[in-house]
Amino acid sequence: MPAVQDTIDRVRKIDVDQYKYGFQTEIAMDKAPKGLSEDIIRFISAKKEEPSWMLEWRLEAYRRWVTLDEPKWARVHYPKIDFQDLHYYAAPKSTPGPTSLSDVDPELLRVYEKLGIPLREQEILAGVQKTDASELEEASDNVYKSGRVAVDAVFDSVSVVTTFKKELAQAGVIFCSISEAIREHPELVKKYLGSVVPTSDNFYATLNSAVFTDGSFVFVPKGVRCPMELSTYFRMNEKNTGQFERTLIIAEEGAYVSYLEGCTAPQRDENQLHAAVVELIALDDAEIKYSTVQNWYPGDAEGKGGIYNFVTKRGDCRGHRSKISWTQVETGSAITWKYPSCILRGDDSSGEFYSIAVSNGYQQVDSGTKMIHLGKNTSSRIISKGIAAGYSQNTYRGQVSAHRKATNARNFTNCDSLLIGDQCGAHTVPYMEAKNATAQFEHEATTSKISEDQKFYVMQRGIPEEEAIALIVNGFVKDVIQQLPMEFAVEAQKLIGISLEGSVG
Amino acid sequence: MNIHMTPQRTPTETALIDAFSDRLSLLPGDGTVMLKRDDAIEAIKSGLPTRRVESWHYTDLRRLLASIPDFDPAAAPKAIAPVVEGSAVLPVLNGVSSTKLPDIEGIAVQRLSEKLEDGSAAPGLDLYGADDAIGALNTAFVVDGYFVDIADGAELDKPIELQNLQAGGQTHVRLSVRAGAGAKAVIVERQAGEGAAMVSSVSQLLLDEGAEVTWLIVQEQPDTATHLAQFKAHLGKDAKLTLFVMNAGGKLVRQEVVVRTTGEGADFTLRGINLLAGDTHTDVTMVLDHAVPHTASTEVIRNVVTGRARGVFQGRINVHQYAQKTNAKMACNTLLLSDDGEFSTKPELEIFADDVVCGHGATVTEIDHSHLFYLMARGIDEKSARGLLVKAFVAEVIEELDDEAIVEALETRLDGWFAAHG
Repeated sequence: MPAVQDTIDRVRKIDVDQYKYGFQTEIAMDKAPKGLSEDIIRFISAKKEEPSWMLEWRLEAYRRWVTLDEPKWARVHYPKIDFQDLHYYAAPKSTPGPTSLSDVDPELLRVYEKLGIPLREQEILAGVQKTDASELEEASDNVYKSGRVAVDAVFDSVSVVTTFKKELAQAGVIFCSISEAIREHPELVKKYLGSVVPTSDNFYATLNSAVFTDGSFVFVPKGVRCPMELSTYFRMNEKNTGQFERTLIIAEEGAYVSYLEGCTAPQRDENQLHAAVVELIALDDAEIKYSTVQNWYPGDAEGKGGIYNFVTKRGDCRGHRSKISWTQVETGSAITWKYPSCILRGDDSSGEFYSIAVSNGYQQVDSGTKMIHLGKNTSSRIISKGIAAGYSQNTYRGQVSAHRKATNARNFTNCDSLLIGDQCGAHTVPYMEAKNATAQFEHEATTSKISEDQKFYVMQRGIPEEEAIALIVNGFVKDVIQQLPMEFAVEAQKLIGISLEGSVG
Repeated sequence: MNIHMTPQRTPTETALIDAFSDRLSLLPGDGTVMLKRDDAIEAIKSGLPTRRVESWHYTDLRRLLASIPDFDPAAAPKAIAPVVEGSAVLPVLNGVSSTKLPDIEGIAVQRLSEKLEDGSAAPGLDLYGADDAIGALNTAFVVDGYFVDIADGAELDKPIELQNLQAGGQTHVRLSVRAGAGAKAVIVERQAGEGAAMVSSVSQLLLDEGAEVTWLIVQEQPDTATHLAQFKAHLGKDAKLTLFVMNAGGKLVRQEVVVRTTGEGADFTLRGINLLAGDTHTDVTMVLDHAVPHTASTEVIRNVVTGRARGVFQGRINVHQYAQKTNAKMACNTLLLSDDGEFSTKPELEIFADDVVCGHGATVTEIDHSHLFYLMARGIDEKSARGLLVKAFVAEVIEELDDEAIVEALETRLDGWFAAHG
């Protein structure tokens, strides 16, 4: 069924009206001048009071970066990015490493309140020592009622606050901003930083290595099950800045951690660049669960503005029987270029990738995963659901490879795409590379629109068309939603509703 | 990754460019044809594709084509019997077609060299994309081949076998067929020879309204040969094409299949078996465009990988925005039987229309142990049991062709391969 004019009109209206995080906040900012050079990198490093080895590391990456060209293979089109026309550092002025919420600009706190981010453990951070567990419960009783979540809030280039640090420290878990980790735990950072995504990895990862400004650092020691969900909330506020955060998560032998990141940005006509690097390391028997709810500003109805999201995420199952699981809900960004991957190095390790990518308006999504089987008896599972509406292009691009020594590697891949409207495109580009006879790879993919039968079945029960579609779509993505921590599953479900509202086809 | 590079010509690239100027006087063609040849050699001058070119990701032609043989006018390949007994044979020996053209009712045969001379073959010489290296190589150097015109409504009772045979050296051949409205035909494209030949072969097929063609590509080159082939077809309204590709030889093989449905109701079926042994590198790459509404396609590829063979299947289905109600299905199954074998597959879907049903599936595995156990429990030794299972795996695809004579002929070829490599 071709899309009726009504659909097209509705879709056109969507983004501007519905991106509810598009507000902008006036906060006194400390910015580096525009442009990128060795001096700027020295400036960033100095601002962060970094040791000299860190500066050297950055400079080496920068020197490599200038020899590289942007990758062109993804199915995304955008005008050439002028990397000299960006601020590579922007930080709220009032935060020379705040130790408690009371040091934080109240305007900033209001931003997070507006976004529904639970920074309200203020009392604890402000020094009103409430260590009693029941009181802690009460204090965090904000949005996420069913469990406690420690949050690292990153505003433009810096981490403004990290909650629940003390309680986590009691369990032996280190959760802080990466800048703090470089200062406080250099031995850990030195050992693991760049060990999964080396500085030479790709254009954007190399750029990130040179200029990253902040991000989160998590270290869960041997045998510890992290007592709560950890979360980072990224907010891009300042104009013409690039956000380059770096996240490093290490789970030692037998440790477990579940981590969630969320992101939003104000509505602007200019495009903003976001190039993050996330590295996960799981040692023997460790498990890391990494969930993302990505809701960067996607641009307006004409495709103007929005975030360019070029992210390198990779997990290394370094130890035997380790497990890394990526779950992502992608609804924002003008351009998404993101392939959370697992290197299954340890024997019996396993990797999972669950993804929902919803695109609307003029969004372009090129996302997927890489499962690299190196160890024996490794297994991986990929479930990807792409939903394209409006004029968007939604591509799944995934690679599964088994190397010569990866005996008994197993993979199951399922990627489905749903098209809503006839102006959008859905694409599937899987790469399967088997170099071991005992490998077993299965891949299946389908593309279709919501069938008239399904819609009729729901509507004849008195459910209006839009709700019927939302219901069907929710059924379609259920496999993935189920993998999200409970609190976020609700949020993700709502997000999908927003992105599709009015897309009746 | 993506580091700036200054390209340097490989010996092969240099040899090709030199050969073009040396052979210019021997290449047939009028002004338009020669202009297309110039464009083609320009494309080669800009370098053979590397793995950075997405459509050549798994076949780095620049690296794999390390050297090429010279043209050898003295090479004299032996005649071979057709796959299906009683077929009308049109042989191309060492790149040159026969002067004795058969007289068959309903078809008109012309030597391609004549069509190049008078320029009527020029439109077919266009490349189909920026990375069409095989097309460029062939357009630059093609000397001969055949043009077969099947009259409207003609129903051929015997297959036509187009044979491309070499005995070393370099040959560039083009085989072109038009099937008139409502015509029905079976065409066998036979690729074989001896010695370390380098072959480029481009086949073109145009199906008019309601034409039905079964086209079999039987590639059994010696394991020293380089075989670069392309099959291009346009399917008109209600036209039906069944393409069967069997690769069972060659050192470096790339078989491209480029199909476009241009008329509503067109139906395309691709069945392929790749039997890979020794050191072969065999790549089957398909690009299928559904350009109009109400067209259908199914593709099933079965691969058997033994020895140190490397196999590749890339299949891209493009469903254009206007091509509503497209039904497209693609499957690629691989049996990886040796520790040193490799198989890479990239089944792509590019979909711009919303009212379509498209799917693809791909698997890579070894022989199912429970199947093996089942047979062995019945007293069949392991080797024979394996042989049975592997044969069944590929024979299934052959048996779908409903012409008994063809099925039988292909199964004979299959048995021949298993006898040699089992």
